[in-house]
Amino acid sequence: MTAVTAARSPGEHWTEPDGVHIEVRGLAPPAPFVMILKLVDTLGGATPVVVHHDRDPVPLYAELAQRGWLAQRIEGEPGEFRLRLNRSA
Amino acid sequence: MAIASTFLGGAKGRLLAASIPFRFFGTALLFHALAWATLLWAAPALPDFRGGLGPLLAAVHLLTLGVLVMTAIGASLQLLPVATRQAVAPGRWPYDAVWGLFSAGVLALTGGMALVMPALLLAGALLLALALLGYLVLLARNLHGAKGMGVVVVHGWAAALSLLVLLGSGLSLAGAYAGVSGLPRPGALGLHVTSAAYGFMGLLVMGFGYILVPMFALADNPSPRWSRLSVGLALAALGLALLSALARLPAASLGVGIGLGALALAIHVALMLQALRTGMRRNLGASFVLVRIGWAALLASLAVALARESGALPVLGASLFGLLLLGGLLTLLLGVLSRIVPFLASMHAAAGARRAPTPSSLTAQRPLDIHFYCHLAAMSGLLLAVLVQSAWLVRASALVGLAGAVAFGVFFVIAWRRMAQVASAPALPSGAKA
Repeated sequence: MTAVTAARSPGEHWTEPDGVHIEVRGLAPPAPFVMILKLVDTLGGATPVVVHHDRDPVPLYAELAQRGWLAQRIEGEPGEFRLRLNRSA
Repeated sequence: MAIASTFLGGAKGRLLAASIPFRFFGTALLFHALAWATLLWAAPALPDFRGGLGPLLAAVHLLTLGVLVMTAIGASLQLLPVATRQAVAPGRWPYDAVWGLFSAGVLALTGGMALVMPALLLAGALLLALALLGYLVLLARNLHGAKGMGVVVVHGWAAALSLLVLLGSGLSLAGAYAGVSGLPRPGALGLHVTSAAYGFMGLLVMGFGYILVPMFALADNPSPRWSRLSVGLALAALGLALLSALARLPAASLGVGIGLGALALAIHVALMLQALRTGMRRNLGASFVLVRIGWAALLASLAVALARESGALPVLGASLFGLLLLGGLLTLLLGVLSRIVPFLASMHAAAGARRAPTPSSLTAQRPLDIHFYCHLAAMSGLLLAVLVQSAWLVRASALVGLAGAVAFGVFFVIAWRRMAQVASAPALPSGAKA
């Protein structure tokens, strides 16, 4: 089952029961990288973040690790690279 | 498990084998040490260098080709596919061929220059031409398939065209030493210096700056309008300088070109400084002190070029200009490299590793600190040596620079070893990453 999200504008973030979502598809690098990290830094750690991306954000993982966050790919729409970010235990 | 496979496949598709970019970087750092050692030998010629074969010309090309271009090739082949969302070229033989031919070419060319052996020099130039043509094919493939990143792609194409001019003028100059007639020497030299330093290296540095500086500083992307203005002015400046070198324009047009180039660089630097000022990560350490000094030296090189063009610096002009230009590019590049090496290492170690290592955990800070102080002392010493015309000061600076180069090499080896240790750890059983 693929989770489908309503159309959002690039850079927008919103809250759903499973956490704070951020839409970064269509943004030129390094904007997605910067926006995701800004959001993560703002939230502090208690709330999971769901990232709607159009590619595997390779450079992001080390920065997340530096902040004590863990990324896991989850199912998304066709052509989407969706990640759930949680504060690591 | 399917998700995990897709995850890793997606990551690896845009990453070369770690050994490819790191081989370019490692070789560049060997040439870095060799360049300082050769300068030690060539010291008496530096304060009043007027060209010609010998160890100083070899030291210059160990620096330009061996360090600057070698690093630019390794960085661009890895960073462009990541930034522009495309798979890297399949198979590693094209990268191995470019690296092998380029390394052999640098050794032969600089050996021919140092030992005054024109046939060896020409053989090196031909090897370099083959390597750079191969690199151009890989670069063009990456630029052609790029999705988005328009400003970066324009810089990349312009750098690729500059590389062709650099190749043609370089072969002409190398051929002339071996008795093969080509372009008139002054014109070829003007084309060579302009296309190499400001064209190829300058444009690549500016283009990658639009990705790397906001990424490291965690800042918003620079204004596209000002970025486009900067690259437009840079291209106009290059066009004027190259046509002036071919004597196709009135003499005054070179001065206009230099002025436009300075304006283009000033806008670029202002955009980068704004990113550094407004980014979430304010403290970027000594690496960005080097980057800032590099930008300042490049701007100063254009000011000296303008002063030389107006006849204001007839005596010290050539050496001072060369030192600011090459020293500026080297300082900037080493600053960026000290960030890119652990960053790339963490990306590679993350692909399949149990936990993604942080760049800071892969960074050996002490060797970097030693390099920082040695490099700045060496560059300041060289600047003073040129101003007071002292060969002994050049020797002392070269020794300090060599010590710094060794320290940077130690930092690189430690980053590689730490990356290899993490990458050899068992992989995660699911798509989890951190």
